[in-house]
Amino acid sequence: MAELRVSKLHFKRGTFCLALDDITIVQGEKVAILGENGSGKSTLLQLLCGLLSGHGRISYDGRILKNIPVAERALLFALLTQTSEVIFPFSVEEVVRFGRFPHAQGNNFSDEDDELTEHHLNMLDLSALRDRHFSQLSGGEQRRVMLARVLNQKAPIIYLDEPNASLDIRHTLDIFELLTSREETVIAPVHDINLAERFFDRFLLLKRGTLLADVKRDQLTPELLTETYDVQVACGAAAFTFQHQ
Amino acid sequence: MKKLLVGLFLLTLGASCLIGATAINPFAASPIERDILLSLRLPRVLFSAVIGAMLGLSGSVYQLTLKNPLADSFTTGAASSSALGAVLAIAFGLPVALVPIAALGTGLIGLITVYRLSKTNNVINPVTMILAGVVMNIIASSVISFAKYFFEDALSSIVFWLMGGFFVVDWSKLLLCAAVLLISYLLFTGRALHLNMLALDEHSAQTLGVNVNRLRSIAFVIATALVAVAVSHTGVIGFVGLIVPHVARGLFGSDMKQNLFFSSLLGALLLVLADAVSRSIIPGGAELPVGIITALLGGVFFLYLLRTRRERFWHG
Repeated sequence: MAELRVSKLHFKRGTFCLALDDITIVQGEKVAILGENGSGKSTLLQLLCGLLSGHGRISYDGRILKNIPVAERALLFALLTQTSEVIFPFSVEEVVRFGRFPHAQGNNFSDEDDELTEHHLNMLDLSALRDRHFSQLSGGEQRRVMLARVLNQKAPIIYLDEPNASLDIRHTLDIFELLTSREETVIAPVHDINLAERFFDRFLLLKRGTLLADVKRDQLTPELLTETYDVQVACGAAAFTFQHQ
Repeated sequence: MKKLLVGLFLLTLGASCLIGATAINPFAASPIERDILLSLRLPRVLFSAVIGAMLGLSGSVYQLTLKNPLADSFTTGAASSSALGAVLAIAFGLPVALVPIAALGTGLIGLITVYRLSKTNNVINPVTMILAGVVMNIIASSVISFAKYFFEDALSSIVFWLMGGFFVVDWSKLLLCAAVLLISYLLFTGRALHLNMLALDEHSAQTLGVNVNRLRSIAFVIATALVAVAVSHTGVIGFVGLIVPHVARGLFGSDMKQNLFFSSLLGALLLVLADAVSRSIIPGGAELPVGIITALLGGVFFLYLLRTRRERFWHG
């Protein structure tokens, strides 16, 4: 089982400093990272992916991240970045197939790669768009394409930087339901607290680069959120609630 | 489509051998004409094809690795800084074999300077890159002018070389360029899938298992080697590498597995045609440097790209 361990992580850039003592995330956990802008959510994600390097120790299944070659890391975890671009006209299908790159032998994709690509195109409702160029799509459609690419990577841990950014409410529900019903570990900074509370089962609360709390759903209290966001958070019936029809 | 294009290319190769100061009828060629055909026209046409392929291939790789549709050896400053190294090598009277190596050295320095200048927070700004490339061109040209002024002894050979084109072709030059082209092409096609990942943002490519910095460095060195060797033999021929990758993408998609091949083929085709025009446009046997024709075509194409892609540049 792919277990993620972080201990004594310390990272400094300019005046910003991120420090975390000890976190262990076991396979299959759905972890939301909450915190205000600039609290270090994306930085933490980049550290966990080895895109930034700090002091301390990050390990996957007991293997230290720094010692894992870049090509092998792609088999352990996948990342959905906050914004994504594809320069030049690549089709939706081609971009989703990029997700199979870590598994490709030499310069060719196998039949299995093609089948999985097909599967993920259907899963994210993209079959009708397959031949369109990525750059011609709307922001939400592009997001779904990138998500399909990330899932197509078939990594046991998935990092998603604000997965529902620019998605409408129906696709947000679809995607959160999809993600949280899967076997993969999901670790995602999420801005919408209500959605996070509904779909995730563990919460890392960050404030100015420090871990304020690491709690399960039933321990996520209004007081804790008040402290995290510096706004008065109360628990009550929301003005609108959302369910699939 | 692929076969059709290869066929068209071979036909163009054959036909352009017959064009020149005097048109030659291959079915009724006199011994002198046959001699002209085989020892002058044929190597020249092949040479222009090889150089065109080198420039097209390098342009395809530059545009992807620099994430800039306006990139090619000319707009990045790589060609003129390569030319600078070649001029200095000629001026100091270095052996001919060292000229391409000096060109590669300065070419890489120029390219990497432009790249570094245009990159902030891991993002390459395409506008800054073009500006930096323009300035690199100006700097390289001014040092070349200085060399022309200062090294009077070498002046004639520098000027002759700077005019560019395919005036003097021999089989050994042709073989050297063809070898560099073939090796580079094989190195790139072996990494075609890796190169495709560079179309994504850097973090996505890296987490897909591509060592982005290493791949980009390798691509820079090989692409600039293509440019340096081409420039050391023919002078600066601009814009071939700008035009053909776009045409190849439009016709055959952006996948580098296709684009590397078609950028090379179309680059060869374009330069063979441009050279045929330059040999025959002025009546009476005079020749136009081929760079004039490609610069004219490329300049117009550059303006077209600027107009159609402006949105992405100023907001991207």
